[in-house]
Amino acid sequence: MAVSAFGIVSSADNSVHVDGLHDYRPIGAFSFLGRFRVIDFPISNMSNSDINRIQVYVRSRPRSIAEHVGSGRHYNINSKRGKIQLLFSENSSSRSIYNNDINAYMQNIDIIQRMHQDYVVIAPSYMVYKQDYRQLLDTHVASGADITLLYQKVDNAREYYKNCHTLSVNKQKGVQSIEKNLGTANNKNIFMDTYVMHRDIFVELVKAANWMSSMYTLADIVNLKCKDMDVRGYLHKGYFATLTSLEDYYNASMELLDYDTASDLFKANWPIYTRTTDSCPTQYFDTAKVTGSFVSNGCLIEGTVENSIIGRSVVIGKGAVIKNSIIMAYAKIEAGVHIENTIVDKWAHIIHAKNIHGEPDAPQYIKRQDTL
Amino acid sequence: MAQNEMLAMILAGGRGSRLKDLTTKVAKPAVYYGGKYRIIDFPLSNCANSGINTVGVLTQYESVLLNSYVAQDGRWGLDSKDSGVYVLTPREKADEGLDVYRGTADAISQNIDFIDNYDPEYLLILSGDHIYKMNYDQMLDYHKEMKAEATIAVRPVPLKEASRFGIMNTDGHGKIVEFEEKPAKPKSNLASMGIYIFNWKPLRKMLIEDMKSQESNHDFGKDIIPKMLADEKALFAYEFKGYWKDVGTIDSLWEANMDLLDPKNSLNLNDSSWLIYTEDISTLPQYIGKDAKIKCAYITQGVRVEGSVTNSVLFTGAVVGKNAKVTDSVLMPGVVVEDGAQVTRALVAENVRIGQKAKVGDKNSENIELVAKNVKGGTN
Repeated sequence: MAVSAFGIVSSADNSVHVDGLHDYRPIGAFSFLGRFRVIDFPISNMSNSDINRIQVYVRSRPRSIAEHVGSGRHYNINSKRGKIQLLFSENSSSRSIYNNDINAYMQNIDIIQRMHQDYVVIAPSYMVYKQDYRQLLDTHVASGADITLLYQKVDNAREYYKNCHTLSVNKQKGVQSIEKNLGTANNKNIFMDTYVMHRDIFVELVKAANWMSSMYTLADIVNLKCKDMDVRGYLHKGYFATLTSLEDYYNASMELLDYDTASDLFKANWPIYTRTTDSCPTQYFDTAKVTGSFVSNGCLIEGTVENSIIGRSVVIGKGAVIKNSIIMAYAKIEAGVHIENTIVDKWAHIIHAKNIHGEPDAPQYIKRQDTL
Repeated sequence: MAQNEMLAMILAGGRGSRLKDLTTKVAKPAVYYGGKYRIIDFPLSNCANSGINTVGVLTQYESVLLNSYVAQDGRWGLDSKDSGVYVLTPREKADEGLDVYRGTADAISQNIDFIDNYDPEYLLILSGDHIYKMNYDQMLDYHKEMKAEATIAVRPVPLKEASRFGIMNTDGHGKIVEFEEKPAKPKSNLASMGIYIFNWKPLRKMLIEDMKSQESNHDFGKDIIPKMLADEKALFAYEFKGYWKDVGTIDSLWEANMDLLDPKNSLNLNDSSWLIYTEDISTLPQYIGKDAKIKCAYITQGVRVEGSVTNSVLFTGAVVGKNAKVTDSVLMPGVVVEDGAQVTRALVAENVRIGQKAKVGDKNSENIELVAKNVKGGTN
């Protein structure tokens, strides 16, 4: 790579709240497709793009992210040349309006200014996609633009991509504005909250935003600067998921049950790294009936599983039926329980409730460690 | 356990020639087992879980893969400041020529300098060929309690099979009075597991003498242990009752894999207090297709099943195509069973491809079929 960049993995905006799941951990720590966590995707994208210095911003409840990311060794980050830093905005409570991305960058601006790399790639910890940032960076440098933004054309923005931003882009891929997705039309350019720019421009933007309003976010200031800076769009193609609402999370997960879609996201030359838990293979009993599902290691399956995602070390008893559901790690579904269109959080134990149903467009959610 | 109180040395030079094509390119300790493991993961994980920090792995036969595999000591958590896994192959020394390891004892003798670096109180000798879970720290406690000079782990075998093993005869209090290699008329059923704890200083002395001996086979079982008994040293048998397998043949390797299909098997790889660690591979979770039928199976991450799998163990990245049938079989990593193919009572080696509609193995066969080369597609 001719030019070098460091990476920033950003945290979701305060306006984003995913029912249930979000009460226990930031979106980056959500379990995804059984054995991954959402933050594995941006960090693996960076690692695979030769970005060796990565700052992960954590706004609230840092335990699960800190535990999962750790030294970053499992992300193939060079142990001497590279580093993953977890950075916190310590001076304000998680719910405060002051606790936004600009505030977090301001608090760590000295660290950002000291980075040796000229460019910065900022990617969200709450979206899933595959992107070679070397291509993005090369295009950005070649174009001479000040800022390049990654976006995807979608045709279902009324129903999904809640809490996301949209870009209005002219024919030359010049970005005219960044706006909230208000669900007014289906065809939209969804902003993937991914930026490339020179470090100096980034520092300048952070300071400008902070000076103008304590509530300004990076998206707000870039929107303002669209008029007098050269801001371009870079079109992304392929699987893209935003996990900014329970429906989006559920829908994005279910979409990956199509093996071709999933395998497009997991190419051998683009590994998605995660922290191993060293669980053993999964045991299918002679009464098991499993179809159309992704299953993680360490499970004991005696029942029926259809079109579902099963996390690590889940126990599914005899005669239990799981359909169109996401069962997270260490959950225990006892014999005879029927579950449909439901997200069961980690360590939940379902024993007395024999029927748990959600709707395809409104999944049911079962709390972490709950006994039903 | 205090730092380096006990150092472990794993003998991993075994060729395992009865495993045929599975060991033409890799040594037996590197052979795959149990869906995601290699055999050597067991002694290495046992060391890590027993609090042993430093492990030497003695390799010789086809050691390239094994050397690079065990050098990644982080896999077993043996990568903290004072820990490490060290590969020790035969090497040329200043005052003598290059010598292969002439026997199990010689392999240790040739690495006395390595062991001296750590100055351990006790030396634990292990084999890299065996599948079992064992707490060596408890064995060390027993060794100390008995004030033994050497402690040998033993396990009870059926008396009628005892003549196939090295048998320890004890005085009823665990003290070994006699060691018989493959006795015609066994007096006891306690078979040696090839796991020894020695007090390092006296052993060191014996090994130096043994190296010079012309008559010696330089082997623990044949030379060192009998010599210690003849010298009336305090040798004790430490009885182990858990699951233990030495998978010497294709049939026994297949059988050991099949053991895992019983959810109540005594190896219990699902015990989170004693995990077996292995290489971490980035893959999707296992995917079970819309028309798949799975009954009684042990399947790991990265596997894709579209057909039917019964009574089988599937390793990382194995693929079973549409309408394919895999029964009573073991598919090693990367095996592809194409659409409509049938695999029965077989052990399919790494990355082998079974062509469309091909048939391998036979449900009435006496022995398990080893499939080590690609099989072309069939016609019916």
